[in-house]
Amino acid sequence: MEFYDVVVLGAGPAGLAAGLSSYEEGANTLIIEREKYPGGILKQCIHDGFGLVEFKERLTGPEYAERFIKMVRNKKIPILTSTFVTSIKKEEEIFILSVVSKDGIIKVGAKAIILANGCRERTSKQIGIHGTRPSGVMTAGLAQYFVNIMGYLPCKKCIILGSGDIGLIMARRLTLEGAKVLGVYEVKNSPSGLTRNIVQCLNDFSIPLYLSKTITKISGDDRVEGVEICDVDENMKPIKGTEKFIECDGVILSVGLIPENEIAESLNVEIDNATKGPYVDQNFMTKVDGIFSCGNALHVNDLVDYVTESGRLAGKSAAKYASSKYKRALNPIEIPLNKFLYAVPQYIDINSDNNKVVMYLRSRDIVKNVKVIIKSRNEILYEKRYTHLNPPEMERIVFDFNRSSLNDYSIKILMQEG
Amino acid sequence: MNGGAVLGRIEKIQGEIINSVSKNIFCAEKRNSILLEGEVETYEEVIKAGKLATNRGYKGVINNIKVKGLTLPSRKHPKLIDNKLERKKVDVLIIGGGVIGSAIARELSKWEISILLIDKEDDLAVHASSRNNGMIHPGIDPNPKTKKAYYNVQGNKLYSKVAKELDVSFERCGNIVLYDAWYGKIISPVLKLRARLNGVEGMKYLSKRETKELEPYIYDDFIGSVIFPTTGIVSPYKMTIAFAENAVLNGAEVSLNTAALSIKCEDRKIIYVDTNRGRIFPKIVINAAGVHADEIAEMADDRFFTIHPRKGHILILDKKKGQFLNSIVSKPAINQSKSGTKGGGVTKTIDGNILVGPDAVEQPFKEDYSTNKENIDNIINKHFPILPLISPSDIITYFSGNRAATYEEDFIIEKSEYVKNLIHAAGIQSPGLASAPAIALDIEKMAVEVLSTMMEVKPKEKWNPYRKGIPELFKMSEKERNEYIKKRPDYGIIICRCEEISKGEIVDAINSPIPVNSLDAIKRRVRPGMGRCQGAFCTPSVAKIIEENANKNILEITKKGGESYLVVEETKKGGGAQFGIL
Repeated sequence: MEFYDVVVLGAGPAGLAAGLSSYEEGANTLIIEREKYPGGILKQCIHDGFGLVEFKERLTGPEYAERFIKMVRNKKIPILTSTFVTSIKKEEEIFILSVVSKDGIIKVGAKAIILANGCRERTSKQIGIHGTRPSGVMTAGLAQYFVNIMGYLPCKKCIILGSGDIGLIMARRLTLEGAKVLGVYEVKNSPSGLTRNIVQCLNDFSIPLYLSKTITKISGDDRVEGVEICDVDENMKPIKGTEKFIECDGVILSVGLIPENEIAESLNVEIDNATKGPYVDQNFMTKVDGIFSCGNALHVNDLVDYVTESGRLAGKSAAKYASSKYKRALNPIEIPLNKFLYAVPQYIDINSDNNKVVMYLRSRDIVKNVKVIIKSRNEILYEKRYTHLNPPEMERIVFDFNRSSLNDYSIKILMQEG
Repeated sequence: MNGGAVLGRIEKIQGEIINSVSKNIFCAEKRNSILLEGEVETYEEVIKAGKLATNRGYKGVINNIKVKGLTLPSRKHPKLIDNKLERKKVDVLIIGGGVIGSAIARELSKWEISILLIDKEDDLAVHASSRNNGMIHPGIDPNPKTKKAYYNVQGNKLYSKVAKELDVSFERCGNIVLYDAWYGKIISPVLKLRARLNGVEGMKYLSKRETKELEPYIYDDFIGSVIFPTTGIVSPYKMTIAFAENAVLNGAEVSLNTAALSIKCEDRKIIYVDTNRGRIFPKIVINAAGVHADEIAEMADDRFFTIHPRKGHILILDKKKGQFLNSIVSKPAINQSKSGTKGGGVTKTIDGNILVGPDAVEQPFKEDYSTNKENIDNIINKHFPILPLISPSDIITYFSGNRAATYEEDFIIEKSEYVKNLIHAAGIQSPGLASAPAIALDIEKMAVEVLSTMMEVKPKEKWNPYRKGIPELFKMSEKERNEYIKKRPDYGIIICRCEEISKGEIVDAINSPIPVNSLDAIKRRVRPGMGRCQGAFCTPSVAKIIEENANKNILEITKKGGESYLVVEETKKGGGAQFGIL
């Protein structure tokens, strides 16, 4: 059995950054990737806009991935590709991974594990779409793979359900490739994707965006022949009598992403219902000692740059943990869920010598002129005024805390008008 | 209407139907069956009239009543037309590649005869045989003395043997029927008697505590239960495919995408069957056409029954929740005795998912598998409470199927009374899967008997009852799995991350004894795409493996045959870009 200080699961942007920073922190590091090539979903994201924070440049997905792959390769950090972790067991203080590849099953030991598995797309049945099950109904990510990696159009005349970013990107991409995108339909009364994608992918190509509408039924035997569209009420329930049939040969779904945490769950890592990713502290350690989480497996990000950042922070912490284990004292961060969708991390380890917290949060609703305040007892750790907060656009904040003043007191996040 | 004069049987039924259904229905006798014709307002009236005419001393009910304004679509046929089977002579032609047709083909392959099984779909087990929960019923539900009861109990007993011979995972998981006070008091003696009459072994009453020991995660809303330990669970499509593959390995032929279009009879004997792939001359024909069995009978001028499709919906939950159930658990509702089904429950599949359902809905469309919100919501409301730890967010997909019910609600397993060389295995609804091995043995006897009047029928000297399935690597011990990968490295390349399916298994499915190359057909054999991502990740990789191993262009690859293409054309730069995910 081979032993490593840190094993990273996933060689997408989070895993690559995690592996890199773990290595730089001095840990003997291994990255395991189930696909044939590293890069994760970036491989198929050939549009630009990646790296504005990280490199102050507009890169395409493959370019962004390439930079990290090169850094990892230059440092000779091993990446096992086409390699799949079937299970992880904790034996005393060591994690034992069962790893399958074309060479057979091997065991790998690790002091710390970083889960950088990314996320998957919600499917049509998971949002209760009814009707028949023809070919031509697919998630936006799958459509993107067909077009960008394989070079085939999955449909000629389609509608896109959901205004998530991949859906918007695919609306433009399919249009450029000669398919007709009849419209993007969003069940909510505001778009789910970034404003810049609404402008650049829909408005610039005259693709209509319909809010408060959804697909209620899919028709067609072999291929999609059409869909039934309905208006929805304020509770997002279809309104009877508003049904309209639209002829099309494809339905592309961009209706949400779900962090992949099946391995985490098998290790009894506690999952936050709000993020669908593990609870973590400011070091990105989950509630199970030695298991770290980052990137879209932790929570769904809208910018790759932050995926990289969380990977980097997780990598650094995991390396530290592997070199000298420590006992944690986790204090929860209180968050009003009527104001925020979530905030990550959800805990502060007050025993950690890392007193700098990088926090990602999303407001629940579109709000204007608010203050976000982070408080510990009566001490204000952070305060910022926002002219507006928009759920699809994640906010990143950084604050320090004074360890001695935190003892026995939790941290609270508040949102106030003003 | 029922005045003093002595009316004949038919007039009496006619009168009742006019009184309680519609004036526009006309009854007549056809041979020894009853024929209903006319036009009514609703489909419910059609069913009601059919039921009124049932068990009135006729062999069967031929219900041709139409619903005003409703045109039923005709049978879906493959668009393919060729001469592959033109002037083909076979001893036995089996129409229908569901579990019944496939099991019959397997049993008949013991004999030195030529067998051709045709199915109009791109794969076997596309209709009811894929669209059920895989339960091997104990035989308690059918009324004693019905064919259903007999074949169910006999079939159940045979399962351990056939599943072993055909290398299909099968488990006697048992099923638990929960009851409340009322149910316990009223139904209990009836159940005991019925178990004895039907020959169901091992039935036992369990206290609440005993029940909870077996199923610790079920709710508390019951006082006790009955367990039927002989109940089993199997993958219904894997079972069907295994029967058919074993038949093929023993010399039978399977022709997919082949639909029977018409049948030519002379002197009450089938001369030939026309298909979209040529004219077939069989010595005998076996009708195992599922929901279309009445139409096949009609083609041979031997229709004496009616299939009224009864739809059922089933939800599939994420394997993550599989740990909360060990067997099949249901809690019957009081008012369901007349609905013609047990009312469903929760089922742990052989692959580890939980299934919820099915329900039962009479509707006229035989091949409509669409779902709607109302039915799915009803199932959620009815059955989810049994397992408090499951929730709608665990649903990964749902589907529906149509039971091939006759008005008599019993199986038709017999030589045609009218056509000399036709045998029916029809009206096979639940528990058809459980009954299949026993039905196949009886049909085998009938077929050999009829054939023996036309030719010499000898047993095969080297019939092989065994068939090796595709290895399921993720179920193996690490040592065994390692040995497989050392022999075939592609068993170590995981393509479907949710179900942990390797490239090697997919290649094996493509090259299996009945070669297939659509996504769904591969899914039935080795499960890529059956998991929580529903193929969003692995579809391109599976398509690529099909392209490489089935000699198909990506543009020709379909989801489920026909025109269900995955992609429609190349992008502007031209397709076939080097993509190397594998």
